[in-house]
Amino acid sequence: MPTIRLVNVTKQFGKGSLAVDRLNMEIKDGEFVSLLGPSGCGKTTTLRMIAGLETPTEGEIYFDDECVFSDEKGINLSPDKRNIGFLFQNYALWPHMTVYKNISFGLENMKWPKDKIDARVKEICKTMRIEEYINRYPAELSGGQQQRVAIARTLAPNPKVLLMDEPLSNLDAKLRNDMRAELKRLHLTTGSTFVYVTHDQSEAMTLSTKVALIKLGLLQQYCPPLQLYGEPNNVFCADFMGNPSMNFVNCHGKTEGDHVVLNTQKFKVIFTPNEKVELEPEHEYVLGIRPEFIHVSDEGVEARVVSSLPSGMETTLALAVDDIVLSAVAFGSIDFVMDSTVRFNFEGNRYVLFDKETEEKICLGSLEIIE
Amino acid sequence: MKKKWNKIKTFFSKPYNVLLVLFLIMLTFLVVIPLISMVRDTFIVHPSEKSRVHQAVGTFTTYHWLRAFASSFSKSLLWDPIRNSIVTSIWSCVVAILIGGSFAWLVSRSDLMWKKVLTKLFIFPYIMPSWTLALAWKNFFKSVEITGSNGIFTALTGLQVPTWFGYGEFPIIVVTGLHYAPFAYILIGGILHNMDANLEEAAIILKTKRLRMFLRITIPIVMPAVLSTIILVFSGAMASFATPQFLGLPVRYFVLTTELYAAINGTNPGVGYILALVMIVLSVIIMFVNQKMIGTRKSYATVTGKSANISVFHLKGMRLPISLLTTFVVLCMSVIPLVTFALESVMMQTGVYKLSNMTLSFWIGQSQGHNSIQDQPGILLNPEVYRTLGNSLKLASTCAIGAGTLGFLAGYSIVRRRGNWLSKIVEDLTFSPYLIPSMALAAIYLSMFSTNRGIIPSLYGTFTILALIGTIKYLPMASRSGVNSMLQLSPEIEEAGIIMGVPWVKRMTRIIIPIEKSTIVSGYLLPFISGMRELSLFVILITANNRVLTSLLLFYDEKGFTQFSNAVNLLIIVVVLVINFTVEKLTGASIEKGVGGN
Repeated sequence: MPTIRLVNVTKQFGKGSLAVDRLNMEIKDGEFVSLLGPSGCGKTTTLRMIAGLETPTEGEIYFDDECVFSDEKGINLSPDKRNIGFLFQNYALWPHMTVYKNISFGLENMKWPKDKIDARVKEICKTMRIEEYINRYPAELSGGQQQRVAIARTLAPNPKVLLMDEPLSNLDAKLRNDMRAELKRLHLTTGSTFVYVTHDQSEAMTLSTKVALIKLGLLQQYCPPLQLYGEPNNVFCADFMGNPSMNFVNCHGKTEGDHVVLNTQKFKVIFTPNEKVELEPEHEYVLGIRPEFIHVSDEGVEARVVSSLPSGMETTLALAVDDIVLSAVAFGSIDFVMDSTVRFNFEGNRYVLFDKETEEKICLGSLEIIE
Repeated sequence: MKKKWNKIKTFFSKPYNVLLVLFLIMLTFLVVIPLISMVRDTFIVHPSEKSRVHQAVGTFTTYHWLRAFASSFSKSLLWDPIRNSIVTSIWSCVVAILIGGSFAWLVSRSDLMWKKVLTKLFIFPYIMPSWTLALAWKNFFKSVEITGSNGIFTALTGLQVPTWFGYGEFPIIVVTGLHYAPFAYILIGGILHNMDANLEEAAIILKTKRLRMFLRITIPIVMPAVLSTIILVFSGAMASFATPQFLGLPVRYFVLTTELYAAINGTNPGVGYILALVMIVLSVIIMFVNQKMIGTRKSYATVTGKSANISVFHLKGMRLPISLLTTFVVLCMSVIPLVTFALESVMMQTGVYKLSNMTLSFWIGQSQGHNSIQDQPGILLNPEVYRTLGNSLKLASTCAIGAGTLGFLAGYSIVRRRGNWLSKIVEDLTFSPYLIPSMALAAIYLSMFSTNRGIIPSLYGTFTILALIGTIKYLPMASRSGVNSMLQLSPEIEEAGIIMGVPWVKRMTRIIIPIEKSTIVSGYLLPFISGMRELSLFVILITANNRVLTSLLLFYDEKGFTQFSNAVNLLIIVVVLVINFTVEKLTGASIEKGVGGN
């Protein structure tokens, strides 16, 4: 099973617009990698370049040691020679073929014997639980069923690499959840390498072994999802991951010994880095606070409840300290009276300090309120 | 009782219900009753038939049916024209789809050169009158044995054109096929263009060979477009009159339309009405067969998507040859015919292609004052030409305003009451004139309105009957585009106005019409262009005093005034093209969009 390696891959559409900018990444055998980013960031283009449906402007792509694309060596293996499966966003089922035919068509191309094709189609339909629709046309299936057929068609030839382009985005919320679990199981049972494009951070979080977060064609961070969530490289990554998203508070910092006093204008906190870092005596920072680390209690900073949205399992709050509004999550079935006054403090050591100017992460640490 | 009355009151308080009832009444009177009247006409004796039927005028007779179906004339009166109509229509479909389809593929999927110019030119035959190519063919390939002079081809090469090539079945098929090739291009090209590229990419990834992909994926997906092209071309070819008249008559090759024209203008209108019925039956059959074939299981609704990344097929070494060949074919369809008209219209003596034989007198020459019918002023100085041009413009605009307005209102009321039986009946009725070939519809109107009908005086020979029939004939296309555009407009937009208390007229003029402006303009443009170049619909209803340009052209052609007919033809084409492009430029509406909506 192959490892996919992208070396300096660049794609330019027309003049000037860079869809993908010198992308370097390695997708190891058996991984489930999500390409994540806002729309138009180049994630689909990247996937299509791996598949060979799109030709990179520059760079090289390797499947193990085999070069499948290189602009310098003039290599460009066509998609059918790359041994991949591709799942399209809109499924791309052939409307004039039955479910059976849709699945068997590819196997016929590979010159499988008839009885083997038949057995394989029946087997895959059973796994995907679409046996009873085998003689129907795509138009006669619901969205979820079409999705399953598309997956079955892609999986039937046992591809070593499965590329998926936002396959769940056309499904309703409940079905999407079911299919997520199913995809994760499929990854385990097939043992193939999955590359998955999505703009939904929670999908990337829940599914993948590694997430590649892309912004405007540039790779921002490539690491396991929980690391991306906990230790974002920059403000963009921190902001993109998590719902409700991270709070960002502008503050002025004065270094005192091995900690920093951060003044937010409305309240002051002491930030103690988890590990030793060199800090300037005075600097402008952005403090990143995950909503779940704001703990509503009897002491700490006083705040007004701007909104309280209980969902049963937890309640999402918007707390205003003068004009600084922070979102917070209180776990359990509790509701707060709107416009009432509460107090909160900070717990744990997962607060992120960013440089205000570069928006890059400086370090993680813990917070203590001083006034 | 009170309850019932209230119900009726609520029903008529909705403007679209009032419209639907009005449409029902109007269409019953203008389509259903005339049709019944024509069936009745196949059983009675007409004034011109007195001497052959030997019965009093207006009495019941089975003479026409017996003569058409069970006499020694059946073959030449009925069966031969039916066979000829069917054969030419089928082969025209083949020609249109082969040429239009390959052009569509070349344009949307290959790296053909000069695509922009070629696509513009390729649409030309559709905008031009249907006989344009027929006349051009005649100019090129006529031969001395049939028309007394040779065509350009013989003049250039010295070769005598065989009669089968110059006249009759073969040229009718080629010319009709070429005329409808733009249809095939627009419909098939539309699907190829909108077709989800992922469908083909999915096949590539599953290791499908190029040819197999073309045969098993691309072709089946464009099949619905091919089928709708077939029905359009078939019914169009079946209804076409000018082309078989120009190319078939000289060798006595009759199709249903030309036979019908001969019968109604001759001494046996009763048989003509039977032929009209036959044409209607044939086109209804085609419609049903088509609907059966398209079927419902394999819905093609999913065949749209982002098509930004269609992979272009590289023609490689064949690129230049194929591009040149395509350009040649396109020029033959679009520009060369115009050149031949210009050339033929300046020939002093037909068939002698020499500079010394050229004259502008057929355009701007003065009448010599001789007492001969051929001694006429050039068409640019001829008051008769200007009168017919005026008539044509007046008629086409009237039909366009009538059909466009009614079509839009019909579309509005049909869509607003969708699912209701009344709406369904009105929709079918507005569509029904589409199933009646032009000449058959004309025959129906002739039978219906040539005598007093209640309060309506005889309309034969009046402008009114031409305006009426044009409006009715073009109603299907206008109401189709009306229905399609209204379907895309959600009722909430109007409901927002209702809630704020905006009255109906204001809702229409201030909300709906501005939103639908471009489709409404197309709804007017299409009937106008069709009206300007219409011949078969008007030809049997026109008398010498309300001649239009197209019938003047036919008159000149029948008389053998080649130069005049070519000049008038050029005039019609120029008028149609100028108006089409002006409207297109001004409003953004286009004839291509109209075809897509059909």
